[in-house]
Amino acid sequence: MSPSVLQRIASGDSAAVRECIDQYGPLVWSIARRLSRTPADAEDATQEIFLDIWRSAARFDASQGSDKVFIAMIARRRLIDRLRKTSAEPPMDPVEALETVAWADPGTASETSIEAEQATRALAELRPEQRQVLELGLLHGLSQTEIAAQLSMPLGTVKSFMRRGLIKVREFMNVDAEGVSVRV
Amino acid sequence: MPSDTPPKGQPDEAMVDLLVKQVTEGLSPAEQRALDVMDSEIASAYLRDLERAAAAVTLAGSSGGEPLPAALSARIAQQAAEHFATAEHSARPNTVTNNVADLTDARTAAAEKARAQPSLAPSAASARAVRFGGYGWLAAAACLVLAIFGWERSPPPLPPVAVVAPSPVVVAPPVQPAPPTAAEERAALLAKTDSLKIPLGATKDPAAAGVTGDVVWDPATQRGFLHFAGLAPNDPAVHQYQIWIFDAGRDKRYPVDGGVFDVPANAGEVVIPIRASLMVRKPAAFAVTVEKPGGVVVSGREHVVALGATS
Repeated sequence: MSPSVLQRIASGDSAAVRECIDQYGPLVWSIARRLSRTPADAEDATQEIFLDIWRSAARFDASQGSDKVFIAMIARRRLIDRLRKTSAEPPMDPVEALETVAWADPGTASETSIEAEQATRALAELRPEQRQVLELGLLHGLSQTEIAAQLSMPLGTVKSFMRRGLIKVREFMNVDAEGVSVRV
Repeated sequence: MPSDTPPKGQPDEAMVDLLVKQVTEGLSPAEQRALDVMDSEIASAYLRDLERAAAAVTLAGSSGGEPLPAALSARIAQQAAEHFATAEHSARPNTVTNNVADLTDARTAAAEKARAQPSLAPSAASARAVRFGGYGWLAAAACLVLAIFGWERSPPPLPPVAVVAPSPVVVAPPVQPAPPTAAEERAALLAKTDSLKIPLGATKDPAAAGVTGDVVWDPATQRGFLHFAGLAPNDPAVHQYQIWIFDAGRDKRYPVDGGVFDVPANAGEVVIPIRASLMVRKPAAFAVTVEKPGGVVVSGREHVVALGATS
């Protein structure tokens, strides 16, 4: 099995750095745009995320998950950290104004990654309002309090939906992977 | 006997709540302190699982993606060249030389892409795209600047400023309504049909002599107010009062932190907002203790000055 692009970066292969930017740039950029408050923030965040990727590449273990989920984890950590630091800024747009997310089709999600396929199958078992809470929180970066306000839903319900939704996805992933986890 | 005790090696509800919040929006310092006193081995293992689940959902909702703007791609390549030239690869000078050369070439390649891809097409259907709507224009401007000056980042030119003659009409600034006081917010919460009102009683602690009051709590919004009179003034540099919420759904040894507050001299009646650090499912009792400045994660309960139970 040939080494992944992250493993090649860790071993000092400069061509892999370019490949990584080309291959995962769109993914990081789309996540950063959704979880940043301004275009300038998204650009700065994307640069920071790639710096984190260079620093963490040596810790990637292909036997424990895909490089895509590894990179998405790094991106989310960095973006949440940045969102917390700017949490005093004005809130996000109203829910109606947020871009509608097209969840991957269960039949084709495996082309994205096995983890996306697992998540899609788990999401399909959730009620629409539960999926919406996950979407607003995980894909648009709204806090639980913001989601409660936007949906006129009790905060306790939002917390419960978020918690059950993530646990459901985790269960699907652990059933398939026998509990292995990616260490970042 | 604690209720809802998790199986060995599994996180309890309080830990899961904190970990979910950490994964979705990050923790406040108080929440982080609360997590720090929990079992770190269980927490870190469960955190990784939740982060992985959140990343998988992110991937499921990010199919396709958008091309990385060429100018940004070039900056990332440049940053990578600098990183690998100065950091861990410094022990391999030959490789570093090659890497830098290769990555500098990457900038040239990205410049070609930038010329071929002058702007991002904004999505008219999306308000978020509107928020980023200036980006295509920015990217085009960036390409132009890059073509002339290389890779230096440059802000877009400012639009021309119209010169307007001074107007004799003075427009008064809009009057902002004053934010409601804690007492007003408490009254509004009290008017809600599903809110709870719990009488507070004094204890035998010397600071509690003559304390009367109540707690108003709304389970739906997780908001509440402590209302009392007669609590002894405190010196915030020496100690502070801390609110605790006992949740029937949690281990009663670890009530939920409701925040710290001070009582100034001659305070009279006081209304204090309760800031629950965790979700309270079944509020069973509220208490006020005397703690060190800033409060504590777990109270020793040496000085309980007020207590009220829901039944």
